[in-house]
Amino acid sequence: MSPRRADLPFLSNRSELLSEPLWVRLLLLTLALTFLGGFLFLPLFVVFGEALAQGFAFYFATLRTPDAQSAIGLTLLVALVAIPCNLLFGVSAAWAIAKFRFPGRALLLTLIDLPFSVSPVVAGLIFILMFGAQGWATPLLRPFDVKIVFAVPGIILATLFVTFPFIARELIPLMEEQGVEDEESALMLGASGWQTFWRVTLPNVRYGLMYGVLLCNARAMGEFGAVSVISGHIRGLTNTMPLHVEVLYNEYEFVAAFAVASLLTILALVTLGVKNVLQWRYRDQLQAAEH
Amino acid sequence: MIDIHSITKTFAGGIIVLNDVSLTIRSGELLALLGPSGSGKTTLLRIIAGLEKPDRGAIHFDATDATRLSARERQVGFVFQHYALFRHMTVFENIAFGLEARPRASRPDKGEIRRRVEQLLELVQIGFLADRYPSQLSGGQRQRVALARALAIEPKLLLLDEPFGALDAKVRRDLRRWLRHLHDTLGITGVFVTHDQEEAMEVADRVVVMNQGRIEQADTPTRIYDHPASAFVYQFLGNVNTLACRVVHGVVETEVGLTLPVAEYATLPEVPGNLFIRPHDLELTPVDHPGSFPVILEHQAVLGASVRLDLRALSGQRLEAELTRARHNQLTLQRGDRIGVRPLRAQLYLAGDVPAAAFGNHQGREIVPLDP
Repeated sequence: MSPRRADLPFLSNRSELLSEPLWVRLLLLTLALTFLGGFLFLPLFVVFGEALAQGFAFYFATLRTPDAQSAIGLTLLVALVAIPCNLLFGVSAAWAIAKFRFPGRALLLTLIDLPFSVSPVVAGLIFILMFGAQGWATPLLRPFDVKIVFAVPGIILATLFVTFPFIARELIPLMEEQGVEDEESALMLGASGWQTFWRVTLPNVRYGLMYGVLLCNARAMGEFGAVSVISGHIRGLTNTMPLHVEVLYNEYEFVAAFAVASLLTILALVTLGVKNVLQWRYRDQLQAAEH
Repeated sequence: MIDIHSITKTFAGGIIVLNDVSLTIRSGELLALLGPSGSGKTTLLRIIAGLEKPDRGAIHFDATDATRLSARERQVGFVFQHYALFRHMTVFENIAFGLEARPRASRPDKGEIRRRVEQLLELVQIGFLADRYPSQLSGGQRQRVALARALAIEPKLLLLDEPFGALDAKVRRDLRRWLRHLHDTLGITGVFVTHDQEEAMEVADRVVVMNQGRIEQADTPTRIYDHPASAFVYQFLGNVNTLACRVVHGVVETEVGLTLPVAEYATLPEVPGNLFIRPHDLELTPVDHPGSFPVILEHQAVLGASVRLDLRALSGQRLEAELTRARHNQLTLQRGDRIGVRPLRAQLYLAGDVPAAAFGNHQGREIVPLDP
């Protein structure tokens, strides 16, 4: 910097002093935007472009085929079962871990993370090994005439396993940060444990909870690996939307494949949108959780 | 009346937080639990509330044994250090919470709840904030909401954990006067925890000084200040100069060159101890004045009505003296001056392992040297 500048501190603006030269900034910006465009926006356009390649009429027609309808229905069913189950589990696990100290707490915390660290394919295989033809749990289920592998229950189980951590993981840091003072406060005011939970604990984490449900839903609907292993790809019976996309694609029905894929993409966009709204609404809670 | 009997509490890792603590809280009094952090004062408060269970000991609320009662059953008002207001409820809803949480049979109807909450809002002077959320309030306002909420359940006992800890100095002073006034209006029994001795002395009827899980002294502020029961209490209440000393055949000898006679200890051969002198009990004298010891003036700071002098004795020990402005103006003191100081009052505590029988008790002895 020139000595004259140093004599006149009001001329040296902060951004100039603290940041890289202009060309470096431009280069970085270009790189980032190119990457973003190439890997994120381009695929998005390709999906919708391909899906609508033969017009809207064809697009809707492919979505109306019985197989597509069944895949959409199954995906909705899976999400509809997975979310309430994980909601119940996630809230109880987070509550227990964040508000109480008990033996095995650390183990439970690790177990919750297990589905994150295990490959989804392995997750699917676990259920095959348990409930498949030679599976050790199969004889136990025989009297009830329940079929798990290559059937809807298997798909639901695999999805449950994979989406298991989402809600709990979202709530634990939040609840830990908030501590137990609010609960103690409610207790001192004469509230029962049940009243405390419904009127204090749950409302305190409501945005975090919604956020967790959203992520859980996105994963439940989009899960491929674990479900693929256990479903058996029976058209009209055990095909979820992601599996249906694969089947169609392998049969060179590109437009149909992209049409179903576009639905999943719309789901992703809606998830992103709602996530941003939630993030904005519960930024206080999020900030609290990040500390 | 609340009777706390031989409470002991150990935390995980074997840390003894409370060691055989007994205390009686009289109905209608405002009591301060005063001590440094880690002294066990907050744990004692939480045990009274029922938020912690003691390992040993008992608590009686009047004639009822409350030791096994849950926090919910004790019907005690509790104000948390950080207020713990329910952030998703308005001020009104926060205060109404305790009434609405009651079982249907004893719950007042909607109109009655509204009337009671409005009364409380009036009492804590924040009626205009009823529809606000806690995040929209200042620290002092939150404190008032927390207080109103605790009072809503009509507790016989109100517990406050560091009630002014999170507030800035000005609000603190206002609020503690107001709390004292509120206590007098309501006539409720109150216990608050603080580490600020000034706060405890100003607000409380009685102060319980705690240290390392034990009660050092429980007495009125005046008596605690004038007759501290232990060296710890003496040191904890306000500034003090500590001089290591030996008592040899009835004479206190210090390293700074000060000697004081204590006739009672004439029979003791040689016992180490500590001599405490408050800064305002150090009087400035000419050098070599009888009964004084020489010091060098290192720094002087004018603090409003008084002046604080930083002094250094010939032994290297640093001391603090406090003068009134008027006295300071009479003397023309320069940094580096050699002057004499003499204690107007001093307190002597002998080292702990001296047999108690030798001089009756472990308590300190106040020495008022005669003007030579």
